[in-house]
Amino acid sequence: MRRRPGIGGLQTAAAARDQYRLVGENVAKIRTDMMKEQLATFRTQLEEFARKHKNDIRKNPAFRSQFHKMCAKVGVDPLASNKGFWAELLGIGDFYYELGVQIVEICLATRPHNGGLINLQELCILLRQRKSDREAVSEDDCLRAISKLKVLGSGFEVISVGKKKLVRSVPTELNKDHNEILELAQAQGFVTVEEVERRLSWTSGRAIDALDTLLDEGLAMIDDGHRDRKRRYWFPCVSSNSTPVADT
Amino acid sequence: MQKLGDFKLPHFFNYPPYFTLQPVRDTREKQVQLWKDLILDYCRTQKIFVIGLEEDFALFSNPVIERSLSHEAREAFLSALVSEGRAEWLDKGHRKCLILWHRVQDWADIIFRFVKDNGLEDSVMTVEEIRSGIESRGTELHGIDRTILMRALRVLEQKGKLAIFKGTSADDEGVKFSM
Repeated sequence: MRRRPGIGGLQTAAAARDQYRLVGENVAKIRTDMMKEQLATFRTQLEEFARKHKNDIRKNPAFRSQFHKMCAKVGVDPLASNKGFWAELLGIGDFYYELGVQIVEICLATRPHNGGLINLQELCILLRQRKSDREAVSEDDCLRAISKLKVLGSGFEVISVGKKKLVRSVPTELNKDHNEILELAQAQGFVTVEEVERRLSWTSGRAIDALDTLLDEGLAMIDDGHRDRKRRYWFPCVSSNSTPVADT
Repeated sequence: MQKLGDFKLPHFFNYPPYFTLQPVRDTREKQVQLWKDLILDYCRTQKIFVIGLEEDFALFSNPVIERSLSHEAREAFLSALVSEGRAEWLDKGHRKCLILWHRVQDWADIIFRFVKDNGLEDSVMTVEEIRSGIESRGTELHGIDRTILMRALRVLEQKGKLAIFKGTSADDEGVKFSM
């Protein structure tokens, strides 16, 4: 718009600015409205999709995982409540609820052996053994069920140690030293005091302290039977299925 | 799963730490429970009645993982069985242990049924016949340890179901059933 000199020109400029601002706000509003509409449409389409593919969602873990991702993108949480459209349509709430109960059972049953820390892989294997005739269970499913379990309070957390994920079902807090030992143990399923000292550059006192705590918490077991006479600390939670290959 | 002959070994048998007596109480309890169950199971399926602690009992070592139970561990697990009434020390030195994978009362019931099943209610048999005679073949009584058999017979004798007497030869005792 061509500027005109003088007061008249100034007023025009101000009016022009106002107009631009209004248009700008309108545009923003239109964009938001459009987005809301798009989102609503998307949600409806998602519901349609869920209806049509209900069986696939129940039976196929990969499909289920993708479905969850789609839901997350539009801000829908099918697990948010056990009632309501999603839960009723898909019965998905029940699926994860049942899974959660089984996870708790397995964790309790294996606790005397592994001290309350179990490898996520092993947990899934044990779950699949129970559900052999029904729907398949993926690690993704386990993680979702566990995140719902956290609501129960103490324990039930997934921690990462090195490349593996461990499910913790006891309130035992693992500090950084413990974590490092667990990570070290992943290679062979066990560590020796000397190995901990050497690989982590710790003093003997620090190594023994950490190992003793892990022993007391039931997360480690001692093994004095090797012919080299060195005590080994084994960690059931990092061995898969606790049937490790013999170390020679 | 690893096998010992026909017998399927449980997973823990291949996990080295289970061959070392665990110092932490809860872990130790779990360990003892597993070993107790394994020993009873194995003895029952292999019909083993006596375990010698210093002998080569198959469960005491696992060559696959190169581990063996120490004498202390062996004694600990067997003592646990003794505490529960599922075993008895045969000597003060705790070198030999009698394994009661059936309790004495269970054996008494088995003998009772055996007598009924074979129509022996009023007959006479030697003790040796009970454990190795034709009728015993295919039953749990076949090859039963004599000490255990005598105990079970005495239980039944106390209830008036039979009478034990010395046979004519020095070797064997006889039993007159009256059920």
